[in-house]
Amino acid sequence: MKIRVWTALACSVLLESIRRKDLWVVAILGFLIVASAGALGMFGLEGLESFAKDLATTVVGAFSTILACLISCRILPDEVRNRTLYPLIARPISRWDLMVGKLVGAIWTTWIAFGMLCVLTGLSLVMFNVHFEWIMLQYVLCKALGLALICSLGLTLSVYMTPSAAATMCCILAFASPMLVRALTMAYDASNASLKPLFQALNLLLPQVGLFDLGSRAANSGWAPVPIWVVGSLFAYAVLYSLGSVLLGWLKFRNQAV
Amino acid sequence: MEHAILAEHLAVNYRRKSGETVRAVKDLSFEVHPGEVVGFLGPNGAGKSSTLKALMGFVSPASGVATILGLPAGSERARSFVGYLPEVAMYYPYLTPRETLRLYANLQGIPRAGLEANLTELLGLVGLGELGDRLNRTLSKGQLQRVGIAQSLLGEPSLLILDEVTSGLDPLGRRDLRELLLSRRDNGATLFFSSHELSEVEMLCDRILIIDQGVLLESRVLSELRSELRRYGLVYRGGASMVGLTDRLEELENGRVRALFEDKEGLLAAISRIQNGDGEVLDVVAHDGSLEDYFVDVIGRAA
Repeated sequence: MKIRVWTALACSVLLESIRRKDLWVVAILGFLIVASAGALGMFGLEGLESFAKDLATTVVGAFSTILACLISCRILPDEVRNRTLYPLIARPISRWDLMVGKLVGAIWTTWIAFGMLCVLTGLSLVMFNVHFEWIMLQYVLCKALGLALICSLGLTLSVYMTPSAAATMCCILAFASPMLVRALTMAYDASNASLKPLFQALNLLLPQVGLFDLGSRAANSGWAPVPIWVVGSLFAYAVLYSLGSVLLGWLKFRNQAV
Repeated sequence: MEHAILAEHLAVNYRRKSGETVRAVKDLSFEVHPGEVVGFLGPNGAGKSSTLKALMGFVSPASGVATILGLPAGSERARSFVGYLPEVAMYYPYLTPRETLRLYANLQGIPRAGLEANLTELLGLVGLGELGDRLNRTLSKGQLQRVGIAQSLLGEPSLLILDEVTSGLDPLGRRDLRELLLSRRDNGATLFFSSHELSEVEMLCDRILIIDQGVLLESRVLSELRSELRRYGLVYRGGASMVGLTDRLEELENGRVRALFEDKEGLLAAISRIQNGDGEVLDVVAHDGSLEDYFVDVIGRAA
């Protein structure tokens, strides 16, 4: 029953996104990537394979992260602003179901955009005889998990702040997460015993988005895929963090007057 | 089940962005019986939409309780029996009316078997048979209102809560809607709706509730109110005295007099006096009072 509700909500998000031509943005970005690769190819890619792959994963990662932030931060506030929320919540569904359905829709849309970028970038690199290894598939899988986590974060932030503030905050957390984690680790090492639990708690709260980016590893030739238990752990972390994040959003949204 | 809707001492507050709390509904109590058609009237800002939102669970009441078909108002179970039309009907612009209805049907848990046939029938019923596969963004305001009405009728709900139901509809659309709603009532559904179209209310309702500034001012059975508002006019010739019966007399030409009576008893007494005094009754007319005048009077008295 719930699966039907979530699927119906997610499909409507996806269908609207496609018909609104949101994914055209992705196609344009993809075209830019292909064109850039073409320009790079004029100089030849011999010996620059790692650089090209690194650049490709960075660009694809950045674009898809921005899209994930923008899509997820807009999805609930738009319902309220456009007054399309009322006929939805007049149905016998809980606000939790509504949030989960919308989140699934945002994740699907982001994944499709990410998939399009990956295919376009991959094709343009293949044209220049750049070879991919199995680890590249792991990069795609882990990045997709990371994008799902970012979507849940964006959705939750949009319940607590305006859509633009939420998008900004979401981008900051998504991009600066590795730097913030490093800073927290350094602060932890330098702090006295009484402050250590605080830094541990902050580290726990911070989304560890950097863990999901295998781009640099995948760019280097000859690197073995990461062990399967690592991917499994990342999956578990993404699910738990997303669940916790949506739960936090639901705590406010469940009784929010609309 | 005794009540389709029961509200007891309901209060709804809103917090403005400035932090100021606004009391939209104050201590509102009323009931709607199963099978009734009840119009919920009031000027703009009276608290009608806030009350309906509280009944649907969109806002939590500050105090008081409300039940729908004996279930806590706003609960998932209660909502499964309710068809709701929001005040401003907005639907996903990049979905078609059919896709919109399919989405809501899936959320409502309506069985998939026969769903497409039901949707086609429902679209035809609201006059969107040929527009079912066009994007909502290409539809007019009245056509979107029809999409809204169709979604509120999904699953044949026992209770229809409709906010500004006739908004955006042309006269033909209003007539179709009236027939549609009356057919739902004949099938046993309860109707509770707000509207500024008092002529529609007069044609549809068994009872009206009038609120202003969040307070219930009147609850009247419409048939009783109609007979109460009815006035009787009498045109006669002769010198019969109307003292004690009416002081609303008007001299017409050729010695004719027009008198207006509040009730039928006064009229009959006046006819009797005229006939006993060698006068002549020329014309008797019954004037139905307008709901609009009554509404304005009630709101004016409360102000």
